[in-house]
Amino acid sequence: MKVTLFVTCVVDIFETDIGKATVELLERLGCEIDFPKKQVCCGQPFHAAGYVERSKPMMKDMIETFENSEVVVTPSGSCALMFKKYPEILANEPNWAKRATTLAQKTYELTDFIVNVLKTENVGAKLNGVATYHTSCQMTRLLGVKDSPSKLLSNVEGLQMKPLPYRYNCCGFGGTFATKMAEISEQMVDEKVNSVIETNADILIAAEGGCMMNIAGRMQRRNVPIKVMHIAEVLNSH
Amino acid sequence: MIQQRESFLNNIAKALGRDVNMANKPELKWQYNPQSSTLINLSKNELLQLFKSQCNTIHTNYVVSKVADLKNELKHRVELNGGGPVSLWKDERFAEFGLQSLIEEEWPALNVAVNEWNPDIGAANLTQAKRSNVGITFSDMTLAETGTVVLFSNSGKGRSVSILPKTYIALIPQSTIVPRMTQAAQFISQKVKNGEAMPACINFISGPSNSADIEMNPIIGVHGPIKATYIIISDR
Amino acid sequence: MPIKISNNRFKDIVHSNLQDQFMRSSMSGAQDGLRLSRLKIINELGDWEEWRSHGEEIRKHVLENLDYYLNELSDNVEKLGGYVYFAETAEEANRYIEDVARKKKAKKVVKSKSMVTEEIGLNKHLEAIGIEVVETDLAEVILQMDNNDPPSHIITPALHKSKEDIRKIFMEKLNYTKTSDPTELARHVRETKRDDFFTADIGITGCNFAIAESGSVGIVTNEGNDRLTTTIPKTQITVMGMERIVPTFEEFEVLVTLLIRSAIGQNITSYVSVLSGPKRMEDVDGPEEFHLVIVDNGRSKILGTEFQSILHCIRCAACINVCPVYRHIGGQAYNSIYPGPIGIVLSPLLGGYDDFKDLPYASSLCGACSQACPVKIPLHQLIHKQRQVLVEELDEVPIQEEVLYKTFGLGGASNVLYTTSTKMISSLMKTFIKDKKYISKGFGPIKEWTSNRDFPIPKSERFRDWFENRERRIKE
Repeated sequence: MKVTLFVTCVVDIFETDIGKATVELLERLGCEIDFPKKQVCCGQPFHAAGYVERSKPMMKDMIETFENSEVVVTPSGSCALMFKKYPEILANEPNWAKRATTLAQKTYELTDFIVNVLKTENVGAKLNGVATYHTSCQMTRLLGVKDSPSKLLSNVEGLQMKPLPYRYNCCGFGGTFATKMAEISEQMVDEKVNSVIETNADILIAAEGGCMMNIAGRMQRRNVPIKVMHIAEVLNSH
Repeated sequence: MIQQRESFLNNIAKALGRDVNMANKPELKWQYNPQSSTLINLSKNELLQLFKSQCNTIHTNYVVSKVADLKNELKHRVELNGGGPVSLWKDERFAEFGLQSLIEEEWPALNVAVNEWNPDIGAANLTQAKRSNVGITFSDMTLAETGTVVLFSNSGKGRSVSILPKTYIALIPQSTIVPRMTQAAQFISQKVKNGEAMPACINFISGPSNSADIEMNPIIGVHGPIKATYIIISDR
Repeated sequence: MPIKISNNRFKDIVHSNLQDQFMRSSMSGAQDGLRLSRLKIINELGDWEEWRSHGEEIRKHVLENLDYYLNELSDNVEKLGGYVYFAETAEEANRYIEDVARKKKAKKVVKSKSMVTEEIGLNKHLEAIGIEVVETDLAEVILQMDNNDPPSHIITPALHKSKEDIRKIFMEKLNYTKTSDPTELARHVRETKRDDFFTADIGITGCNFAIAESGSVGIVTNEGNDRLTTTIPKTQITVMGMERIVPTFEEFEVLVTLLIRSAIGQNITSYVSVLSGPKRMEDVDGPEEFHLVIVDNGRSKILGTEFQSILHCIRCAACINVCPVYRHIGGQAYNSIYPGPIGIVLSPLLGGYDDFKDLPYASSLCGACSQACPVKIPLHQLIHKQRQVLVEELDEVPIQEEVLYKTFGLGGASNVLYTTSTKMISSLMKTFIKDKKYISKGFGPIKEWTSNRDFPIPKSERFRDWFENRERRIKE
C-alpha cells in the first residue's frame, strides 16, 4: 500500500528517531512510503493559542501538499486530529472545506492505521523490558484512538506492560500551555512522572511527540532514569 | 403579578434573531428517549429487591410487613427509634391500614404523644412537628431505583412531618412501587396536562438527610431527619 | 459577592495555592473519589451516551425556545398566585428582593444554597440594609462564618477547608465546644440553625430547574435545608438564572437524573422538592407568599453567539471534578465563583474579559471536561474560542508572543521559510546547550519551559534531510 507520511514538525526537528522508526516499521509491514517535502506544520500550536485566522494559510498549504496522496499516516494523534478539524475550521470557505474533508477522511494516526487499515495487531516486534503506556489526551479522548496501542503493545515479544495510575489525567503539555502556564504544568507533569515511577517500569511508551518532550524533559530535570520511547520505536524493535 | 416580562423576553428573542414567541407551543420531538426503557421489564418482586438494595445505599432501615402485622411493626419501629412524640399526617390510609387503634388508644396509653396534622390549629402543627421524635407518612408513589418515596402535600399532609422530626418513617404499600422517577414524572405531567390541581409541594425523599461538605466525609443527619425507616406493606 | 472574588492576579493566586498542600490533597482526593463513584453510577443507567444526548437535545431545545418557556412559566406561577419578577441585571434583582423584604418588614432571611444569589451579591445587598442573612447549607455556613471566604467548588464550596479549620471557625463564631468530628460539627449546625428557620421572615432559595408547564421550581439537596427554607418562613423568594428551565416534568426528571449522578456520583439526593406557587389556601405549612426572580445578568448576551451552549450548563461540576488543572490550583485560583472549565468559559462572558483574561489559558485543552459533561457542552472547544476572542477580537496578547506567532505563522505557510527557520533554530539553540541531548536554560519561547523541564536539542540532521539522503542512497 502506498502511504504518505506526515511526520509532524516536532518529529522533523526534535524527535527524528520517531520518524525513522515509523518509516522502517511501515515498510516492514509492506507499505511504500513517500514524504512530500512541502509539508510544514499542521498549524496546531497557532490554532490552539487562539490564532485561528493565522493558522489557515498553513492548513491550506498542507491540504495542497497531501492532495495526491491515497492515505496519510502520522505518528501523532494530535496532528491527525488537527487534520480532522480542518473542515470545520475552513467551513466558511466551501471549496477549501471540501478539500479539507477529503484530507481528513484519508488521514490516520499510526497505530490506528496499522490495526484498522492494515488489520495487523502483531507487527513481530521484540523488546525486553517492563513498560507503561501514557495515553495522550488528544489521541485517546478526542481522536478516539483508544485500543490500538494496547493491542499492538500486548503482542510485543519480551515486553511486560504495567498499567499507569491516573492515565486519564493530562501530562501538562497542552502545547503552549506548558510555557504559558509553566508553574501549573510543572505540577501536572510531576504527578505524571510520579505515576510512571510508581509502576516500576523502565520504559515509558507514548504515541505523541509533544507529551514525550514534556515528560522526558521533566524526568531529565529530575534525574529519573526511565527511558521514554515512541510507540513506533517500540514496534520497530526486533 | 408579573413584572418586566416584555422587555426581558424581547432581549432574548432579539439575541436569538427572531420575534418573541409566546403563542406557538414548540413541538417536543426528541430523538433520544433512554428513560422510557430503563428498568421497565422488572417484575414486582425484582422491583422490591431493587428497592431494598437501594435502601442500604441511602442509609435507610427497611422492614417488610403484612397489613395484619403493620400495627405492631410500626409500634416496634417507633420504640426502636426512641419513642414519641410522634407526628403524622391526617390521612385516611392510617385507618384503612388498621392503625387507628394504635394512634388513638395504644400510644396514648403508653404515654406516647401523637400529633396528628390538624388544619384547624395552623402554625401549632409546625411546633408539634419540631418537638416530635418521629414523623410518619405514607408514600404516595415509590421509586425502586433510588429508594425514593414521593409525597404530595395537601391540607392534611403537611410538609413538616417528613422534615422536622429526628426520625422519619415511611409506610410504603408495595403497589406504589414503580421503576424510577420516569414513571412519577409521567404521572405528574399527565395530571398537569389534564388541568388537575397541582399540590403546592411534591417531595421526593430518599432516606435521611446527609452531607459531604466536610472533607468529603459522609455525614448522616444534617437539617432533615437523622434516621429513616421504610415499612414496606407487602399485601397492599 | 459578585462573580469576581478578589483583586489578586491569577498567576499570584496560583503560585500561593500551589504551596497549600492540604487544599491540593482535598482537591485531588475529591476528584479521585468522585471519579470512581460517578463512573459506577452512570454505568448503572445503561447507555449513558444516550442519556447525555437526550440531555443535550433538551437543553438545546429550551435555549432555542427560551422566551416561550419563560412566558409559560411566569403565566403558570401567576395562576398559582405567585409573583414573578424579570430582572435584567443583578441590581434589579437585588432591588426587587429588597423591596419584598421591606414590605414584609423582614429582619432575618434564611437561605439554602444558591449560585445565582452569589453571582448577584445578594447577601451583601441585604446585609447593607440591616437584614440578617443566615446561610443554612453546611458548606455555606462554614464560608459565611469564616468572614465570607469565597467558594472553591460549586457543589462543595468549602472543599478547601479542613475539619480542624472548621472546628476553629465554629468555636469562634458558633460557640462550638466539641471535637473536629464531621458529624459533631454538622449536628451543631443543625442545632444552631434550627430556630433561625422559625424566626426568619423570608426563605430564599436557588432553583435547579423550573418547570414551565406547571409553574414549578425544582430544588435538589441532601441536607434538607431547602425544605425547611421553603416550609417554615411565611415568604419564599426563589432566584433562578433565566436558562434554568425545562418544558415539562418529563424533561425535569431526565435532567435531575443527569445532574445528581454527575454531581455527586449517587443516583439520588435525599431531597428533590418540586414547589408550585405559594401554599394552597387550605394548606398549613409552606409560604403564604411566593416570589420568583428570573435573572438575566448578562446571559442574553451569550444567546445567539458561538458560546450559546455554555447556557446549557446544569451546574453539576462534573467538568470541575475531572479537570487536571483544577486538581492542582484549586477553585479559588480562578478568582470567580464559577471555577474550573465551566468557570473559564462563563466568567469572562458574565464578568468581562478584563478580570478573567488569563483563564482561557489555564487549560491544556485535554478534553476531559467535554467528555464528562452530562449535557455534552464542548467545553474545551469553548475554552479555545475564548482564546480566539482574546487574540483576534480583543488583541489581548503580549507583544513578544504576537511577533513570534507572526514570524512562525509566515514560516509555516511557506515551505522555504519553514526549511530555513528550522535550520536556524537548530544552530541558534546549540549555543545554549548544557550537554549533548538537552537544553536546561532556554531563552525566548522556551524560557518558561526550561524553568522546570529540559528541552530537547534540535537534531543536526532533520527528519526530512535523513529521508532525502536515504532515498538518494537507495537509488544509488
